[in-house]
Parts: sequence; structure tokens; C-alpha cells
Amino acid sequence: MSETLRQSLDLELFWEYRAVLFGGLLFNAGIFACAAAAALALGLCAALLRVSLARPLRWVGTVYVELFRNAPDYVMLVWVHFVLPLLLGVALRTRIEFHPFLSAVVALGLVYSGYFAETFRAGIQSIPKGNIEAGRAVGMSERLILSRITLPQVVRRMVPEALNIFVSLFKATTIVSLIAVPDLMYRVSMVTQQEMRPLPLYTGAALTYFVVIFVVATLLRWASERWRRTVLV
Amino acid sequence: MGNWERLVWNQRELLLSGLGVTIEICLLAFVGAIIGGLLLCLVRLYVAPLRPVAILLIEFFRATPIFVQLMWVNYVWPEVLGWPNTFFTAGWVALALQSSGYLAETFRTGIEAVPKGHREAAASTGMPQLLIFRRIVMPQALLTAAPSLVNQFTVIVKSSTLVSVITVPDLMFQSQKIVNIWYEPIEVLTATAGIYIAFIFLISQAGKLVSDWLRRTFGLQG
Repeated sequence: MSETLRQSLDLELFWEYRAVLFGGLLFNAGIFACAAAAALALGLCAALLRVSLARPLRWVGTVYVELFRNAPDYVMLVWVHFVLPLLLGVALRTRIEFHPFLSAVVALGLVYSGYFAETFRAGIQSIPKGNIEAGRAVGMSERLILSRITLPQVVRRMVPEALNIFVSLFKATTIVSLIAVPDLMYRVSMVTQQEMRPLPLYTGAALTYFVVIFVVATLLRWASERWRRTVLV
Repeated sequence: MGNWERLVWNQRELLLSGLGVTIEICLLAFVGAIIGGLLLCLVRLYVAPLRPVAILLIEFFRATPIFVQLMWVNYVWPEVLGWPNTFFTAGWVALALQSSGYLAETFRTGIEAVPKGHREAAASTGMPQLLIFRRIVMPQALLTAAPSLVNQFTVIVKSSTLVSVITVPDLMFQSQKIVNIWYEPIEVLTATAGIYIAFIFLISQAGKLVSDWLRRTFGLQG
């Protein structure tokens, strides 16, 4: 027992492979960045649909949000990777295959756009009507009102919630190893198969993710709080 | 439609048994998470010497991805602790660990939201501390925590799809088994995604109704 405990805490093996393993973290970061950009853009579009004045558009927005917000990440990932290319192939009459990286970005982007849409919507609806009416009264166009009056306030209000979603999204990037994107978890399982010593490797991976996520999230929360305090009157 | 009948309807027993396992593992994990979260929260609030340990555990559970935790519990724990000895146990324990971190914080927010005056009023009528906690603090804290509890359950259901990776025969596992037999993923995977989405949607809607009702029946006005 004490021997195995010592072995699992002895992270030398993990450290030996550090170049390979930490290289995998770059894939996590890359997928995170692409998926976050996609999720923010799609989420904003969905939120605008949900607060639009036309009822059919609101319906489309609601269905979109509920569909992706309630879909488990892993199910979505598998669906996008294995089903979506086939459907597109039938529609376009060609053979299509998604690169795992693309599938990961599309799947996570779609799922997390559902969460962002709700955050955007809550933010948009919290803006006092008078602000928008004042904008109209001075003759601003709807687009100008959105970009000058609504969005700046929405972004400030949604920062804490958005940070939580970003953290969840980064954590979700670990499952891309399951469709063979060579991220940290994927490389850990490869090295494990070679070395046959899962203890230090998986413990090392867990600790690495913990430190990265905890430190980055804490720093971002602290910085965003300071920023909000300086810009919010 | 032939494919839908052959690959989904005719496989319904397999898929339903998978759904059964999903529900079972989620309920176990949820109960485990509530107990674990309550323990962590109480230690953090009331057991001063162990406070740093509780905070460290809560932060560790919250900041580690569920997939990493699942692998960690599945591969490392049996070697070090000699437990869990089945994939099923490893699955629900990992799910429970992650959620217990989140629930500990939910409970703490709930407890801290109870106005101090309530506790002092109870103390001034001569109630002992334990009774105050049970009769005054906990009911109000749970009322505040109810929506987050439901939310956490949907998170558990979403994360539970990953236990298929360690060969727990849940809905995701059975569906991928069907894919691997027939090599026709479209219908089965779409149906599986639909089942999960509908299931999680229903839970969150039901949860919303229940917590609205709780608030209307027991909550303070306003």
C-alpha cells in the first residue's frame, strides 16, 4: 500500500515526458480558443434571435438554445464527428470527413453557444428600456444602439458568468482525446500503454489540470473584478 | 425509415437498459454528491482546524475536468486504496466527487444567506445550536440551494455519458455498441442525442416547477 502510494505520488515519470505531455496542453488551449470564439459569436446571434420582436425568430432562438444547452458534450462530440460528415456528404453528394480538431471545435462551440446565449439574453434584458428609447429618441439606428448602448453594458454584466462558462469549456476540452485529438489526456493514455504505470501519469495529469485551471481562473476572476469596478459606475 | 426501425426501434431493449444504467448511476452520484458536499461544506464552515483541507478538496474537485477525474479514480484509486473495484463504482464515485465540490459551495452560499438575526432570535428563545441548525438554518439554506441542486443533477447526467469510456454499459455505451455492430451511426447516434437532450430538458423543466413551488409555498415573499 505505502509502496503504491509512493509510486503514485512519485511524479518523476510524468516529468520525464514533460515535453510531450505539456505539448498536449497546447491542443487543449487551441481548441478552447477556437471553440470559445465560435460559441461567443453563435451565442450572441442566438440571444438576439431570442429577444427579437418577431415571434417565429424567437421560436428559432429558443429551440436552438434548448437543443444545445441540454446536449451532453460527449454525445455532441461523437455526433458531430461521426454523423454530421455523413449527413453533409449526402446533402452535397461527396464524401466528407472531419478532422478531429474541427469536430472538437464545432461540437464544443455549438454546446457552449447555448450557454452563452442565455447569459447574453439575461444581460440584454437587464438593460433598462429607457436607455434604448433614449438612443432611439436621439435618432440612433438599431444597430448603433446595439453596439454603442446595449452590448457595452451587457458585456460588463456578463463577465462573471462568462468566466464560469469559459472554465467549463476548458475542462470540456479534455474529452477531445476520445476522438483522437492528441491533447494532454490522449498523450497520457499513450504513454501509459507504453510504460504500464498509470499511477504517476494520471495523478500528474489531474494535478496539471488542477493547477492550470485554478490559477488561471483565480487570476481572471480577480482581474475582471477590478476591471468591472473601474468601469461600472 | 427502415434503418430507424432496424437500428433504433429493434434495439430498444438494449437502449432502454442503457438508459436504466444511466439513471441508476446518476442517482447514486447525486446522493453521494449531496452527502459529500454537505460534509465538505460543514467542515469548511464549522471545523476550524480542518478548514484548509476542506477548501483544498473543494477547489481540487471543482477545478479538475470530470474526464480527468474519472480516469484518475478509475486507474489510480484501485491501486492506492484498493477501491473502487468495479467500473460502475468508479463511475459514480468520480461523478459524485466532482459535484460534491460544487454542491459544497452551493450549500455554503445557502447557509451564509440566512440572516444572522434568525439565528440570534432562535438562540434567544433558548434553542440549542444543533436545533437551530436543523430547524432554522438548514430549511432556508436548502430553499436557496434548490435551483442549483437541480442544475447540478443535469450536469451529472451530462457528465455521466463519459462513464461509457470505462465500459460502464450506460445509454452512450449501448448506442456505440450498436454503431460498432452495424457501422451505421446516423440513426442510433441521433436517437441517442435526442434521448439525452429530451431527458435533460425534462429534468430542468421539472426542477424549475418544483423550485418555483417550493419558493411560493415556503419562501419569504419578495
